[in-house]
Amino acid sequence: MRMLREWSRRLCGTLLQRRRDSDLEQELRLHRELAAENARHRGLNSTDSARAARLKAGGTSQAMDALRDQRGVPWLDDLTRDAEHGIRMLRRTPVFTVVALLTLALGIGANTAIFSIVNGVILRPLDYPKPEQLMYLTTEFPVLRLTGNALSVQEYLEFRQINQSFAMVGAYRTIGGAYTTGEVNLLAGDRPLRVRSISVDARLLNTLGVQPAQGRFFNQEETDRAGGLAPPLAILSSELWQTAFGGQPVIGQTLNINGRPHEILGIMPPSIDVMDNRTAIWLPLGLPAAIRQNRSFHILHVIGRLKDGVTAQAAQTELNLFLENWGERTGSSGHVPTNHPSRAADHTLQMQPVQDAIIGDARRSIWILQVAVGFVLLIACANLANLLMARAESRRREFAVRAALGASRSRLLRQTMTEGVMLCVAGGMLGLWLARVAVQGLIGAYPTSVPRMSEIAIDLSVLLFALGVSMATGVLFGVAPVAQRRIDDLVTAFKEGGDRGASAAGRHHIRRTLVAAEVALAVMLVIGAGLLIRTVDNLTSVDAGFDRSRLVTFSMTLAEPYDPDTRAPAYQRLLDKLRVTPGVQGAAVMSGLPPNRSPEAIPTRIENHTASDGSPVEIIDYYQFVMGDYFETMGVPIVAGRSFKPADAASPGRVVIVNETLANRIWKGRNPIGQRVWPNLSAAIGFGGNSWHTVIGVAKDVKQGGVEKPTGTELYVSLDQLAMAAPTMNVVLRTTLPPGSLSRTLDRLVRDVDRAVPIVRLREMDAVFAESIRRPRLLAQLLGAFAGLALLLAAVGTYGVLSYMVTERRREIGVRMALGASRSSVIGLVMKQGLHATVIGVVVGVAGAFAANRMMGSLLFGVRPTDAATMAGVVATISTVAAVACWLPGWRASRLDPNVVLRAD
Amino acid sequence: MVLQTLDSLGPLHGYAIAARLEQVSGGALQLNMGTLYPALMRLEQRGLLRGNWGTTETNRKARFYAVTPTGRRQLARERHAWDRRAGIIHTLLRGEA
Repeated sequence: MRMLREWSRRLCGTLLQRRRDSDLEQELRLHRELAAENARHRGLNSTDSARAARLKAGGTSQAMDALRDQRGVPWLDDLTRDAEHGIRMLRRTPVFTVVALLTLALGIGANTAIFSIVNGVILRPLDYPKPEQLMYLTTEFPVLRLTGNALSVQEYLEFRQINQSFAMVGAYRTIGGAYTTGEVNLLAGDRPLRVRSISVDARLLNTLGVQPAQGRFFNQEETDRAGGLAPPLAILSSELWQTAFGGQPVIGQTLNINGRPHEILGIMPPSIDVMDNRTAIWLPLGLPAAIRQNRSFHILHVIGRLKDGVTAQAAQTELNLFLENWGERTGSSGHVPTNHPSRAADHTLQMQPVQDAIIGDARRSIWILQVAVGFVLLIACANLANLLMARAESRRREFAVRAALGASRSRLLRQTMTEGVMLCVAGGMLGLWLARVAVQGLIGAYPTSVPRMSEIAIDLSVLLFALGVSMATGVLFGVAPVAQRRIDDLVTAFKEGGDRGASAAGRHHIRRTLVAAEVALAVMLVIGAGLLIRTVDNLTSVDAGFDRSRLVTFSMTLAEPYDPDTRAPAYQRLLDKLRVTPGVQGAAVMSGLPPNRSPEAIPTRIENHTASDGSPVEIIDYYQFVMGDYFETMGVPIVAGRSFKPADAASPGRVVIVNETLANRIWKGRNPIGQRVWPNLSAAIGFGGNSWHTVIGVAKDVKQGGVEKPTGTELYVSLDQLAMAAPTMNVVLRTTLPPGSLSRTLDRLVRDVDRAVPIVRLREMDAVFAESIRRPRLLAQLLGAFAGLALLLAAVGTYGVLSYMVTERRREIGVRMALGASRSSVIGLVMKQGLHATVIGVVVGVAGAFAANRMMGSLLFGVRPTDAATMAGVVATISTVAAVACWLPGWRASRLDPNVVLRAD
Repeated sequence: MVLQTLDSLGPLHGYAIAARLEQVSGGALQLNMGTLYPALMRLEQRGLLRGNWGTTETNRKARFYAVTPTGRRQLARERHAWDRRAGIIHTLLRGEA
């Protein structure tokens, strides 16, 4: 207790300087004077008495030191003194300071920026109460390799019934069906908007555990109502409420959604969403009886909340048990999930924590980036350690003097560490600022490239991380110079000080190791970046199956009160107008926009054909419903037969076109033209009636589901012939005009068709494809930038170390040259030093890349992790850079004038 | 010892304390400034003393130290503890001899 009080006073003493030095000095002076007086009284003369007083009272300065130590916390005082000294030293060498600060700011900034992604996406729990209890249920079709699919309504109801592990289970729906396609048309004032929507049951909102910010949520009666359309109610996200309604009171007002007036029931709290859907509007789930009963409609996404104390493991075990005999357990038959899927339509159920499901495969990319920036920081540290070591060399005299005057080794260590940490804190602050700018730029430029992007922010844990990294960096490179340095005694320091001989072989050894390590890390990074850049290159150059230049596309939705029969003429009118627009060479409409479609997997009967698993139906991956001169406009070549003709619309015989993959799978070399298929239109689009269709042509494969995936089987159906259309269609134009100059005309034309229908995502087809590979591109760009930075830092580091060695060996080189060494031999001498370290670094780096890049295997496309060409290219690049970095100091050494050098000292 | 001195003589400045201790101990205890003043400061930081500037009888400015109530309690505790310790040692040394 007393000690505590003493120390707190001491701390105050340090911070507030309660008693000044002058105050203490005065007290001591009095003591001495009194002592001297006393001595005089005893009959000594004034000089003797002063001397006696000094002898007896002790030295003033020693007493002052002891008092100062007692007054404050000694090491804290030292720290301030060290800091002051450090600032003076740093100011005296501005180039060093600026280089060090920049290096640090880049290293720490990059680390902080990437960590804010790691933190916001992976580490930070979701915004729900007890988010770790939330599990996401999916359907898997192992044979079809379809993963992460939704459940059927019956499965959802059965699971809700039989499970024991979950306190609550809820469901939502985003796509499919006639009512919502994951987006809805909205009329805010007279401005038509297209916003992302979700249809939920009341249980889901309970499961998530969120409360409305205003108003109320749906109740079970509203969302579980069987048959027909869902009741016209809506909940707005806080963000939509702010942007579209300016935060005005809206509860109870009506809002026109998809042509129907809806009552606004409530407002969600800010940043509440489901499965990173970026939901703007929440609607009640309405399940028409047809969908409710059909076990093959996988349309519900299911989220459950585990009971308290039940682990995810236990829930999964329970689920596996159900899958053994789902049919018997639930009294249902037909399309039931099983543990042993063998046929194409067989499926199984899986669960994983909601957060894992949201992050998905982005996790690996993000960690790779974190490791990469870690490497960059290590290289930066090595560089700074080198710089500080070089500086420490030039400060040997200073340290030797201080050691001779009684400074302990640990005291000197503290001095260099203080300087290191100071640099790092300053660099860290700069870095934090850089990270802030970078993160904001990243979110602005790539709003959807990373899941949970909107949650990425510089928060407390990011700040702590930045601080921690700065401190660790400072200690790391602050210790290095001292660790390798013996504190010389005064004599050696002064003796050696004048003579910059090659005496410090050990010091050079450490520095060369640092250079080799830097090069190794840079090699690994550059190889990784090289592989990803090749991946993006390969992805960009994949033949999508059609000519995507000069192609502009947008999407639009004709919702209520349109029905399939009235939509077709509306789209037809639009197409007619588009075709005569100046600058437009062709126009067509399609249901699915490549390359972002997810496989539809529609069971389809084919005449005289049994699927490989013995089933009478073949699973076809995609149906594409088209209108107008589709193949001509898109530039999809017809490989055999013919494309749709206007005359088909009038003829009674229904026709389809298949893609090459489908033709090869079903008819294996036989002529597909004239064969008949039974398209499952009711499952695919919900209208049109099922009947036999004749194959009239084979189209080249189009990458519908992603450029990196194998092309699926595809069936083209003519909407001109059906004279019907789906609500949401994609319009595609072959035009010489950019989307920007078209948008006015298009706005007018679409408005002519329907005033309330917005144009959605008007862009060039090239942009659509670029966006589809945005994640690998972002990864490649970031990793490329980090690799470039690493390469630059490593080059600077190599150059710096060699330059310093040259400076240190000036005399020796001068002597050599005076004795007749040629310039080239001097260059060779210096370069040998550097290249030796570089070669070791390259070898280690390539070996490291072999080991580490396996981690990247799943992120690569069209290139193997051990791709020889990439490795060779990288090694060549790095060797060139290293050679230049080594040659420059060598060249400078060869320019030395022996006369000048030898006279200098 | 410092506490005892100040307790019995009232507020004193540093030199007076040193002189008194020297006198009492018959010259055996000679405190130099480097020992005395940090000790005074420590006692002050622990709240056992309070120092204030005042003037001496020779009209000099000096810092006078006085015992605080806490200091007095502490002194009593220490005195008691010392008596016990001394008593025990006394008994041990004399009792066995």
